Amino acid sequence: MKRSSRVGSRIFIGLTFLFLYLPILLLIVFSFNAGDSSAVWRGFSLDWYKALFQNRLIMESLYTTLLVSLLSTAIATAAGTFAAIGLYSLSKRRRDALLVVNDIPMMNADIVTGVSLCLFFVAFFQGWGAFAQWFNGVQSAVELPVRLTLGFGTMLLAHIAFNIPYVILNVAPKLRQMDKNLVDAAQDLGCTWMQAFWKVILPEIKPGIVSGALIAFTMSIDDFVISYFTAGSSTSTLAMRIYSMTKKRITPEVNAVSTLLFLSVLALLVLNNVREIRQERRTDRQELRGPSFFENLSMRLSSPAWKWARRGGLAAAACVFVAAVALLTGAAWSQPVVNVCSWGEYIDEDLITQFEDATGIRVNYQTAESNEALYSLLKSGGADYDVIVPSDYMISQLLEEGMLEELDYSQIPNFEKIDPRFRNLPYDPENKYTVPYTWGTMGLIYNANMVDGELDSWGALYDGRYAGSVLLINNSRDALGAALLHLGHSVNTTDEAEIREAFALISDASRRGVFQGKVMDQVFQKMEGGNAAIASYYAGDYLSMLDNQADGVDLRYVIPEEGANWFVDAMCVLKDAPHYGEAMQWINFIASTEANLANMDYIWYASPNTEALERYPAWYEAEYGEELDPELYEIMAAPAEVLERCEMYLVLPPETRALYNELWIELGV
Amino acid sequence: MSKELIRLRDCVMSYGDEVVLDHINLYINDKEFLTLLGPSGCGKTTTLRIIGGFLSPTAGDILFDGARINDVPPHKRAVNTVFQRYALFPHLNVFENVAFGLRIPKADRDGRKVKLPEREIHQRVMEMLETVNLKGFEKRPVSALSGGQQQRVAIARALVNRPKVLLLDEPLGALDMRLRKDMQIELKRIQQEMEITFIYVTHDQEEALAMSDTVVVMDGGRIQQIGTPEDIYNEPKNAFVADFIGESNIIDGIMRADGVVEIFNRRFQCLDKGFEQDEPVDVVIRPEDVDIVDEAAGQLKGTVTSVTFKGMQYDTIVDFYGFKWLIQTTDYCPTGSRIGIKIDPDGIHVMKKSHYSGMFGDYSSYSEEYEELDAAEPEDGEENGSQEDGHEK
Repeated sequence: MKRSSRVGSRIFIGLTFLFLYLPILLLIVFSFNAGDSSAVWRGFSLDWYKALFQNRLIMESLYTTLLVSLLSTAIATAAGTFAAIGLYSLSKRRRDALLVVNDIPMMNADIVTGVSLCLFFVAFFQGWGAFAQWFNGVQSAVELPVRLTLGFGTMLLAHIAFNIPYVILNVAPKLRQMDKNLVDAAQDLGCTWMQAFWKVILPEIKPGIVSGALIAFTMSIDDFVISYFTAGSSTSTLAMRIYSMTKKRITPEVNAVSTLLFLSVLALLVLNNVREIRQERRTDRQELRGPSFFENLSMRLSSPAWKWARRGGLAAAACVFVAAVALLTGAAWSQPVVNVCSWGEYIDEDLITQFEDATGIRVNYQTAESNEALYSLLKSGGADYDVIVPSDYMISQLLEEGMLEELDYSQIPNFEKIDPRFRNLPYDPENKYTVPYTWGTMGLIYNANMVDGELDSWGALYDGRYAGSVLLINNSRDALGAALLHLGHSVNTTDEAEIREAFALISDASRRGVFQGKVMDQVFQKMEGGNAAIASYYAGDYLSMLDNQADGVDLRYVIPEEGANWFVDAMCVLKDAPHYGEAMQWINFIASTEANLANMDYIWYASPNTEALERYPAWYEAEYGEELDPELYEIMAAPAEVLERCEMYLVLPPETRALYNELWIELGV
Repeated sequence: MSKELIRLRDCVMSYGDEVVLDHINLYINDKEFLTLLGPSGCGKTTTLRIIGGFLSPTAGDILFDGARINDVPPHKRAVNTVFQRYALFPHLNVFENVAFGLRIPKADRDGRKVKLPEREIHQRVMEMLETVNLKGFEKRPVSALSGGQQQRVAIARALVNRPKVLLLDEPLGALDMRLRKDMQIELKRIQQEMEITFIYVTHDQEEALAMSDTVVVMDGGRIQQIGTPEDIYNEPKNAFVADFIGESNIIDGIMRADGVVEIFNRRFQCLDKGFEQDEPVDVVIRPEDVDIVDEAAGQLKGTVTSVTFKGMQYDTIVDFYGFKWLIQTTDYCPTGSRIGIKIDPDGIHVMKKSHYSGMFGDYSSYSEEYEELDAAEPEDGEENGSQEDGHEK
């Protein structure tokens, strides 16, 4: 009886730990996967780690992360230590009350902290703007910047703010343990308070300070939510970068960087624990025998003979630190910059380096999750992008709201190379605001081994025969668009009856259990692993799924006979962009044939550049030594006759948009 | 007589409504061993902290060598302190603890900060360690020392700075009885050897009597009596002092004439003079000044209610007309026996009535009183508490 319960409890503990650590273990294992699938094991390799260190966006964000963590830890440690000492000079009742107050920010939901800090900064910036305008008006000696934006500085302040409580929490117990008379004793022996602090308080509470700093550092490295709300548009920490990388699909590169992040946080925690254990042991040991080797060493180091060496070391460390900060911030401020916001995995990052080397302009490359997310980011006023790459219908909407700046095409000679098919499109009829970036179609993707014969109708999405294995795209426009096409209506219809008819088709299928679920990014894993049979998605993404499909999966792509949606993503410049000239240079560079070839090869979305489209098959053969499959190329860059059957999304009037929203909510999860 | 070094003039210390020190007037002579004696909360530690510079009096002055030093911070006073529980620096070894004060640069006569040469520091520390019998311990971490050794480090650390005055805040409180006796002798020796003024705070009256040149008895933030140990013991000013110092039977009496006091309606010869005729007084009779005689020959007659053997004497509690006396005698009288007592005129001490009258001196709860004394020993918590939380009350 007793024995069996013990076995039971062991199994239970085992399961608990398995539940805790299996996902992380999986992540680590797959970071060493040779293929780029997150579902299928293709052998051991370190390629993803190599790729990681060559990925400039990741390295840049790593740099940002380390810098913000180090700076915030240093400042928060100093501030928190003095705050804790201040707390201990208060009466017990006030001190206890304040310590409770100190706990609240740590218990508080990160999102609340993040949002409130963001609000606070934005409110402050508004006030500052008014003040600076007035101040610049009344005098001309000093020109204050009027427009402040969220960025590294605000994120640093936020990190300092959330780190201070952890430092106080760690320093406070050491102060409580400390004999209060120690400070009196030091002062009695001739110290001023400051001398007593350095000579007595600091050595006594040092273990608390160090562990407080370590925890603050860990928290800082680890933080995503608060950084997300306070970093603004031009700064990314590693966690934010990882998040943006997972928007499209979880590449093994993300696994690799997550593994490294996990290991470094683990290392910090282990370091902290080992230190504490060793300290406990040392105090025990000290009572039994004389000083240990390390204590002797530290005593010797603290003797006056070593003082100059120590001071020199400290000064050198301080210099290195200051120099590093100065170098970084100096480099960031003196160089011309262009702020670009695009989508995740949507550029060959070598292009950024090439552009920087050629022009000396630093590219601040950020990513947004979706057109809608980009829109709300722009509306919130926290962003200071120059160049954005929205899709067609979003461009119309931004234009309607007067948020875009006209381009100076005299500075963009490469615009000449854009195929006439992709000029003067409905979203920008006179082509005054945009330079196309990519284009493509959205068709039907299916696993030939899971369906009967070849599919060529959107009807397959609602077919009861495939109940439980159809993936519905989690986006009202695309989901209703396919249904409208199937019913023979336009994707841009504003006729409520037609839209309701299309919705009825979807909700009916939903009721019959046809859909496995509503997905966006999960579509990759589900289709690659053979867990779903049918989905509607973008051609470029189909090609990357094809590369990763598991054994026994045979993915196909088709533009159904009813036609499909085709889209263009185009580069635009925001009104009042701070770096207009740099933005023109960037757009011209990206519109070049070479850049288009590189991007096409990297992201597998078709280029709008005539030369690039013509030259890609030959370029591919030269690059990889094998012929480009013409069928696949046609999927990527749909030929004119296919494109004719496709319809581009136009911006819908507000009441139709509202109807879409309403219906989509009605469908439920 | 040696010259005056420190004077407290009308010092008041109060936190809001709570008065911790009530118009303290006190002077301390050079090279004197002065003890502030009193129960916890009497203000003795507060007085010491005012002298040390850790507290500033709410009103009144503190003078050092004739100069007012109210606003001089602790590190600028020629005073060093041995703290309760020593307050040694745990991260430093014995040598560095003692050298701590010497390593702080001090301003010379021109106001320049001067550091002592390492050789001199070493020499002075080693000398001091020898004085306190800790030679050979200099490399030890302080946490590896016994309580008595830590105590010596604390003393050495303070004295190595050659202060004019050493303040000792219940320095022996944490030591056991034997060690405490040894350290008392040692402290006295050090004080005489180094010719330094010691201001010593304790609640232990035996310690105070054994070591001091002058004892200051305090209670309720007031000085009750200042005097030599003999004065304090033999001529207590009021019932509080009589009770706090040694054992006392304190009985209501009436002064019938100079040299004649009436207790329990019987007249006794005494040496006290200068009272009004028929003035009510407190009469102190020390337990050892009472002779037990046959009942018939006794000036007073009573019944023995308890006897405790104490080694040197029997502590005998005797009931006289409902008032219980403690009598210390070498004669054994069994419980229940009827006895008489005789008191010589110099065994009787007459005191004016005070607000302490009637609060002390009856031994009907003798055993409990002993326990109270024991319980009172670790008192620092209460005193610190009154300083810290006093702000709030």
